[in-house]
Amino acid sequence: MPTSVLKKSDKPQVKSVVKITDAPQNKKVVKDDSDCKCAIVKARDFCFYYGSKAGVKNINMDIYPCTVTAIIGPSGCGKSTFLRSINRINDLIPHTRTEGKLLINDHDVYDKRTNLVNLRQKVGMVFQKPNPFPKSIFDNIAYGPKLQGIKSRSKHQQIVEESLKAAALWDEVKDDLKKSALALSGGQQQRLCIARALATKPDVLLMDEPCSALDPIATGKIEDLIGQLQGDYTIVIVTHNMQQAARVSERTAFFCLGELIEYDLTANIFRNPSIKQTEDYVTGRFG
Amino acid sequence: MDDTALYNEIKSTTGRNDRSLVLTPFEDLKGFLACHLGRALLFLITCSSVLAVFLIFYFVIRESIPFITHNDISQFLTSQHWYPEAEPAKFGALSIIVGSFYVTIVSLLFAVPVGIMAAVFLSDVVSFKIREFIKPVIEILAAIPSVAYGFFAVLVLSPWLQDKFGFATGTNALNASIVLSIMALPTIISVAEDSISSVGRELREGSYALGATRFETIFKVIIPSAHSGIIAAVILGMMRAIGETMVVWMASGNASQIPTPWWDLSQSVRTMTASIAGEMGETVKGSEHYYSLFTIGVLLLILTFTLNIVSEYFLISAKKKLGKA
Amino acid sequence: MKYSLRETCDKTFTVMTALSVILLVVILVAVLGPMISKGITAVFFKSTVEFRRMQNDLHDRGSIEKIDEQIAKANIHRDYIYSKIDSFKMGIDTSFFKQKVKQIYRQFGNDLKSNNIKGTELSDRRKVARQIRSDLEKAFASLDKAGIIELIDGIDQHKTDHRITGTVAMGFYDLADQYKAIIKDFDLSKRQQYAESLGQVEDLLIKLYGPRPEDPMPALIMDRYGATRYDLACQLLDKILWKEHWVQQSPDQPMVSTKLPRVADFEGTEIEDIFFYIEDNFQQSIIPKATIYWQYFIDDSTSGHYFGGVGPEILGTLILTVLAMAFVFPLGVVAAAYLVECTTDNIVMKIIRLSINTLAGVPSIIFGLFGLAFFVLFLLPFFGGPSKPCILAASMTLAVLALPVMIRASEEAIRSVPQSYKEASLGLGAGRFRTFVQVTLPAAMPGILTGVILSLSRVAGETAPILFTGACAFGSIPKSLFAQTRTLSYGSYDIAVGDKIGMLVPHKQYGMVVTLVLLIICLNALAIFFRAKIFRRLKGH
Repeated sequence: MPTSVLKKSDKPQVKSVVKITDAPQNKKVVKDDSDCKCAIVKARDFCFYYGSKAGVKNINMDIYPCTVTAIIGPSGCGKSTFLRSINRINDLIPHTRTEGKLLINDHDVYDKRTNLVNLRQKVGMVFQKPNPFPKSIFDNIAYGPKLQGIKSRSKHQQIVEESLKAAALWDEVKDDLKKSALALSGGQQQRLCIARALATKPDVLLMDEPCSALDPIATGKIEDLIGQLQGDYTIVIVTHNMQQAARVSERTAFFCLGELIEYDLTANIFRNPSIKQTEDYVTGRFG
Repeated sequence: MDDTALYNEIKSTTGRNDRSLVLTPFEDLKGFLACHLGRALLFLITCSSVLAVFLIFYFVIRESIPFITHNDISQFLTSQHWYPEAEPAKFGALSIIVGSFYVTIVSLLFAVPVGIMAAVFLSDVVSFKIREFIKPVIEILAAIPSVAYGFFAVLVLSPWLQDKFGFATGTNALNASIVLSIMALPTIISVAEDSISSVGRELREGSYALGATRFETIFKVIIPSAHSGIIAAVILGMMRAIGETMVVWMASGNASQIPTPWWDLSQSVRTMTASIAGEMGETVKGSEHYYSLFTIGVLLLILTFTLNIVSEYFLISAKKKLGKA
Repeated sequence: MKYSLRETCDKTFTVMTALSVILLVVILVAVLGPMISKGITAVFFKSTVEFRRMQNDLHDRGSIEKIDEQIAKANIHRDYIYSKIDSFKMGIDTSFFKQKVKQIYRQFGNDLKSNNIKGTELSDRRKVARQIRSDLEKAFASLDKAGIIELIDGIDQHKTDHRITGTVAMGFYDLADQYKAIIKDFDLSKRQQYAESLGQVEDLLIKLYGPRPEDPMPALIMDRYGATRYDLACQLLDKILWKEHWVQQSPDQPMVSTKLPRVADFEGTEIEDIFFYIEDNFQQSIIPKATIYWQYFIDDSTSGHYFGGVGPEILGTLILTVLAMAFVFPLGVVAAAYLVECTTDNIVMKIIRLSINTLAGVPSIIFGLFGLAFFVLFLLPFFGGPSKPCILAASMTLAVLALPVMIRASEEAIRSVPQSYKEASLGLGAGRFRTFVQVTLPAAMPGILTGVILSLSRVAGETAPILFTGACAFGSIPKSLFAQTRTLSYGSYDIAVGDKIGMLVPHKQYGMVVTLVLLIICLNALAIFFRAKIFRRLKGH
């Protein structure tokens, strides 16, 4: 199988994401059958309106469990809007409405009866700019479990340790968990936010351009992390950086002007896209 | 293994709880009630300020009604004879009303030019570091309580005025005006400086690029552009001066008269605020005098409320201009 | 316009703006300078031994032995001065002698009776004594020195009379000799003048040294001690040594005061050198020492604020402000939370904002009227309380005054919490209320506390709202919330204009107002420090 034309990181830990047919040790082989009923997030003719302006229109896509799905596209194409609709964090914006369905485990999240608290604990989010609370590292991560009703201090310790290890931050901060989270560097803060999101043991992890505010070294570490998390979590990552999408994801969706243009395996999107617009974008003719 | 089974296995190995995405009816109701009851409670508490304003107007007006219904309002507003304890009592508040305006306007004559110039200095002339040194000076001037200013007026300024200018008495309109202008300065400076600073850099750059000096830029471009904010600043300073009680009570001499000739600042005057403060302690509750003092209070309320609305209008129009620009 | 003209305009303008700011600084110094420099002397000053005596009497401070020692030392000089004055007085004021003469005569009569002498013998002896007595009385009343000496020498003829030798009547001769010695250098015509001047000097000495031990204890505390401060003592010394004399220098001008030495009044008398003695031994007679009277902030003051400190005023101010903040803090924070979190831009919101701005613009005396009409006359009786001004009414009035300040500061603080915290918290599954309480509020807390401190400083300085709702100028420390209280703000006003005695102790006047100003400046400095801390915190320690 020819290796990917696009650049790969030289670090040995990175699993090459483009080798689809090789089944890595603990990775699941994903069928590229879009009728698979096991898709965890399903969008059916989903539209999102800011007032009268459409953010996204007629989105139909399925996101499969334990995969990394990248969403790429030019600025203002609705990538973040779609992502933020999945856990309904868009509710903070006034004067919005939706049409169509956005299902998680076959339940429409925009249904009136949705338990938002559970939804957001099932679907975690990491934001563009690292936003740790002005509390200690420990309190940042313990925040989520506390909300879930876990009261025992030892359980908190355990969860904090697990989350920090999963986010590859444990070794750097284990000596002083009481330090203020704001004293960490940008990359560390973002990994802290990832750890914080992981602490609630979500099923899906949404990442909205997590590396755009970070320097290249921190970016590399986050990408490694995504690779490590891949087996346990369903990750949807919005990114401006096509190379990053190619590095970390198995499937890629290309959005443009609020519509889903193409959604396919990453290898196909980057090597032989079926739609011209996609080809123009990935070869850099616009955007 | 098919996907679902593997997915379930992964779920169980990682120990995730299966949380329902659907609200139970009970949870739904609980959330609804909590949200709406909570909001209602917060709303009520927030309305305490509305309630306070309403109560202030209601009670002050209520206590003035006996006076208004029994006495001639036109005489109240036009006659200069304020002899509430005489037999028969006379309630002509004109000299008191004029007194309030007199000291306010004289104080603004000094405070407005100095205030605007200081605001211009802080926003345009001087660097950020020096500004941070001067801001505390203004904050301290603003923080000094009015009774301390009154003290200064009576015990320091009054003898000095008497010595220097040979006035008959040191507590007069000039004394009160000087101290009132010192008190109004911080308000004028901070609001004016805010509005001058928020005129965008683009206007300044455009003007300098055409070769204007700083003086010309400020007078011909910046100040006209920020004029709403500056007017608002002046009105707020005026509100401060007109509403001030302790200083005028201690420093203005409290003679209920209109100075003759009108430009003679060395005569004593009395203001509305000082009348209320000075006479309320001595009146019997429920007497005509008592109600008349509340009537003066109503006048003062109406005046400051109007000034407030006018300054709000100017501030909002200043913000609108910024929004457009 | 020519370029040079424009440039001059520009430069002038820049200079003028700079001058206006310099003017601000000058104003600040001019306002605060005299007040602080004089107010400081309420705590840092040179005290005299009278001060230490007073402190010991009233508050049991200082060791009584040391003070007694100092008083004894001072009394050496004081006693000398007083004794000289007393003896001089006897020359002026002959009532002492007259009284003594009467006493002797009466005693003589009683002795005769007890010795059972009757009849013509009795009246005969009494006639002699009476003769001596009337001669002496004439002598005492006369202003003619030669005549007096003649009269006194005249009674000598009776000295050897057997009817009076060996009896108390001999006392007449002692008196006569005493009197003769006193008036030897005396100018009797000036007796009136001496009396007047000496009276003034004596009054001043009592003010300086305190009441004489043999005099009865004065009723007012302020009269019980001499000059307690060195500067006051110096003023009194000046008045003792120099007399003020009004002179009409030119016919149209008002009279000018000049100073004449009092020594000139007593020229040629024995008391002349007393003035030099007073001046030379001034320091030893009052024993001045630099003191730091920090108890100024704790002590109560004696009537009229003559002695003592501003303790009750500080306590009153603290009680009122803390109580007002207790009312306004929850209201303000909750209202700010609602305005930030639950806003929809409709008419209700506009009304609320208009109300807050109106409240901020209401003059402080109107709050006083409102407090009187609503809290004192309506609300308190409504709940069954007494319809009188009290701490509760005053603090509620102050709370209404502080409400807009608190709401504005809290709103600013809550709004400045970055939206990202809210998003992060909601994204983790917290509800809106929990997000606010556990994330937004703690992050906004420094800003809210700054608002609290600023409200505190505003409320502490307000006088007009508490004038009729709960402040008083005299009275004991309040025992309940329904009593009135003294405060720094009202007390400063009262001592500056109302209190006549206050004029005599300017350091007390300035001291009270400076305490208030320093308290407020400290609170503001604390708020500024807090703001800086917030800045640092948001940047991560």
